[in-house]
Amino acid sequence: MTAIRLDAVVRTFGSVRAVDAISATIAEGELFTLLGPSGCGKTTLLRMIAGFSDVESGSIWFGDQRIDQVPAHRRNVGMVFQSYAVFPNLTVEQNVAYGLRARRVSRRDIRDRVAEALALVQLPAHNTRWPHELSGGQLQRVAIARCLVIKPAVLLFDEPLSNLDAQLRMHMRVEIRRLQKSLGLTAIYVTHDQEEALAISDRIAVLRDGRIEQVGTPETIYRAPQTAFVAEFMGSTNIILGVAAGFDGSATTVAAGGAMFQVRGRAGAPGAKVLLSIRPETMRLAGCPDAGGPTLAVRLQLREFLGPLLRLHAALPDGTPIRVVTLGGQGAQPAADGTLNLIYDPGQIIAYPAP
Amino acid sequence: MTRPGSSGRFHGGISLLALAFLGLFLLYPLWFVLRSSVQDEAGAFTLAAYAQVLSSRYYVGSLGNSLAAGAMSMALASLIGVPLAFCLARLDVPGRPLLLALASVPIVLPSFVGAYALVLLFGHAGIVTAALRSMGIAAGSIYGMAGIVTVFTLTLYPYVLLPTLAGFRAVDASMEEAARNLGASRWHAFRTVLFPIVAPSVLAGALLVFIEALENFGVPAVLAEDRPFLALDIFKLFAGESDPNVAAAGALSVLLVGCTVVMLLLQRAYLAHRRFATNARRGAALIPVSRRWRLLATAFCWGVVLLSLLPFAAVVVISFQHFQGPVLSWQPGLGNYRNLLKGSYRPLANTLALASLAAVAATVLGAPVGYVLARQRSRVSAVLSIVATMPFAVSGTVLGIGLVIAFNDGWPVLTGGWLILVVAYVVRKLPLSVRSASAIVHQIDPALEEASISLGLSPTRTFLTLTVPLMLGGLAGGMVLVWVTATAEISSTIVLYSSRWTTMTVMMLQSLEGTAPGEAAAAASILILFTAAPLLLVYRLLRRQGGSLL
Repeated sequence: MTAIRLDAVVRTFGSVRAVDAISATIAEGELFTLLGPSGCGKTTLLRMIAGFSDVESGSIWFGDQRIDQVPAHRRNVGMVFQSYAVFPNLTVEQNVAYGLRARRVSRRDIRDRVAEALALVQLPAHNTRWPHELSGGQLQRVAIARCLVIKPAVLLFDEPLSNLDAQLRMHMRVEIRRLQKSLGLTAIYVTHDQEEALAISDRIAVLRDGRIEQVGTPETIYRAPQTAFVAEFMGSTNIILGVAAGFDGSATTVAAGGAMFQVRGRAGAPGAKVLLSIRPETMRLAGCPDAGGPTLAVRLQLREFLGPLLRLHAALPDGTPIRVVTLGGQGAQPAADGTLNLIYDPGQIIAYPAP
Repeated sequence: MTRPGSSGRFHGGISLLALAFLGLFLLYPLWFVLRSSVQDEAGAFTLAAYAQVLSSRYYVGSLGNSLAAGAMSMALASLIGVPLAFCLARLDVPGRPLLLALASVPIVLPSFVGAYALVLLFGHAGIVTAALRSMGIAAGSIYGMAGIVTVFTLTLYPYVLLPTLAGFRAVDASMEEAARNLGASRWHAFRTVLFPIVAPSVLAGALLVFIEALENFGVPAVLAEDRPFLALDIFKLFAGESDPNVAAAGALSVLLVGCTVVMLLLQRAYLAHRRFATNARRGAALIPVSRRWRLLATAFCWGVVLLSLLPFAAVVVISFQHFQGPVLSWQPGLGNYRNLLKGSYRPLANTLALASLAAVAATVLGAPVGYVLARQRSRVSAVLSIVATMPFAVSGTVLGIGLVIAFNDGWPVLTGGWLILVVAYVVRKLPLSVRSASAIVHQIDPALEEASISLGLSPTRTFLTLTVPLMLGGLAGGMVLVWVTATAEISSTIVLYSSRWTTMTVMMLQSLEGTAPGEAAAAASILILFTAAPLLLVYRLLRRQGGSLL
């Protein structure tokens, strides 16, 4: 069990600051996710922790030991790669034993620990199959067993599920989470998939252009994104540019998209430009029994039936597109002229100052 | 991407070691060649040698002849190589795998053996010439430019064929389908999409033909008679029996290397920004053609490939015939081989030993260099990449001369021994082993090595215990290629050999000048055997590396 501390870590490629003075503390036994679009610096940061990329300035600590100058092979880090990186010239067993051989563990101990690690990932013991005989999911298990067996100080995951099909991906992420929790290992997990990040993490750091945009629990990040970028990246929210008007003591009126919105709290000084974030699932169709609150008239343009859900693509009066997600069972019949009335909760709209 | 700590040291160490080797045995000797060309006998700076060479009609002619032969060979090899590549890639020509294997053979066969075959068949006392003469037909001469360009074309066209073929195959089928879908005719699609995509490969191969032709020593040595050719004149000036002129040899050398370096730099600069062909997910389908076209394509492909191998086959057949003096008697027998080896097995043993040593050394040195070039991008590796391709541009004769001047006295003295031959071969063939190693490394996921390092093996141990085993197949292929080409090496050997360390190639060249064509044919056949057979044996291994060896 090891806490990890990043202190103003910097890495530049040419004139681009890939990692721009990132600081963070990851608690013992925590699963900490670096989330962001490609090019945000998350993989570079992970590779710096693993020792595959230089730390230009700043420091990285495992517990009270500074490790950024320690060569990669002495860091005792277990890393799971996107491509699994299972050695094609070694059998499953030999793959798992690899790190133990490097540590000159006795032959008998190797055998026991390999069997134990294979059991953890639910692969049969004494596994003499070759990697080319395994499926993607099995390769992933081998890669994980290979890391666990060396009792690493920390576990690093570099988009480990992106090569698996959707169903296996869901299954493996539950398994990874269960293993990490039961072994109490500190883990850093890199992904660009926000759903995966929400599902697996204790805390998430959303990265943008080499900086941390926001750190928090999945709930906080999703419900209370601090910036429009985080709001937009965490699930497909509607971002609408508007102008703040009067504040009546509990809600601000904002003119946006040719309509007037009620936003809880003081969204901005009168006349200030604001960005409104309205999550598609926070709106209801007028006429639903439990619905109450201000309404909004939109014009329906397209309807996507997604099984359990129904996604509606509509336009605000001035043409600004807006998406609404409702449970699939509700019929959404627009009026003859295509107008549809929506009900929203002022408390669910977040306003950000417009750049 | 740079890596910290021991990983960076590992890469840096290899780069520096390789640079030191090439510095000592390539750049340092070349520096002596350059110096000898601009110094008078007292050691003062002078351009007299250049003035002398450039004011001599003979040597200007020599430069002109070499450049003309290079340019013509380049054009003809492309004219053969590109259609051949297209036929092999896209038409249903019967026996394509075999054709392809056979078509890559001329590259390793000693080209001067091909030249010799031409002499044997069409020379002054050639078999065909004699037969024609007895029928009263006067045959044209194959000596001089025509013969030389013919041999270059027939032995060097694979340099165009192989990369072009790889290029055609790397174009995803959807490219052409998209063009056709947008309304282009097949020919229009070829002209506007397919050909522009493979053009860089064609040009890269063609420039290699030019370079190889320019620096080739053996072919003009056999076919030039008295006509001036650069590589030949350099050797004559340096080691001539009458009145050697090291300064003039140096000046011509600098001109020759200058031409080839310019060509190589052009090739690199051109390629650097034109890598269109990526790995095709789906290769383009064969084009359905009428019977007549298929027949025509088949005749063309098999015709070219067989024609290029025919001289070699003829030499082998002739080597088993009995000669009475210089006259062929068409009685089968092993007399030529007996006569050839009567003196001693020494040259054969020398050739095998030197080539084996060179192959091992070039691989041991080339594998880590190829690895670093494939994995690391830094200033040092950029320099290394250029220096490691330079041997392509340096004529063997010039390198030989440089090695002689540099290591003739002082320390260490290498001239006259076996080591200098091995060194020359290693330097000359290093680009081959470097390229085959980096082609393999490109196919190894870097994450494998990172996984190994993060599991606790240092970069050096990871390289030795994980990467090298993964590279083994490719290394073996590259090693055979070095072995085969070192066996056929003549241009540096002719400068560096000593009587104790005579090789088969030298012996062959000597027996050409004598009056024993049978022995020369036997020597040539042995060389053909030792070059073609191993290549065909590891052909599968090499094919996996595609055109990247060139």
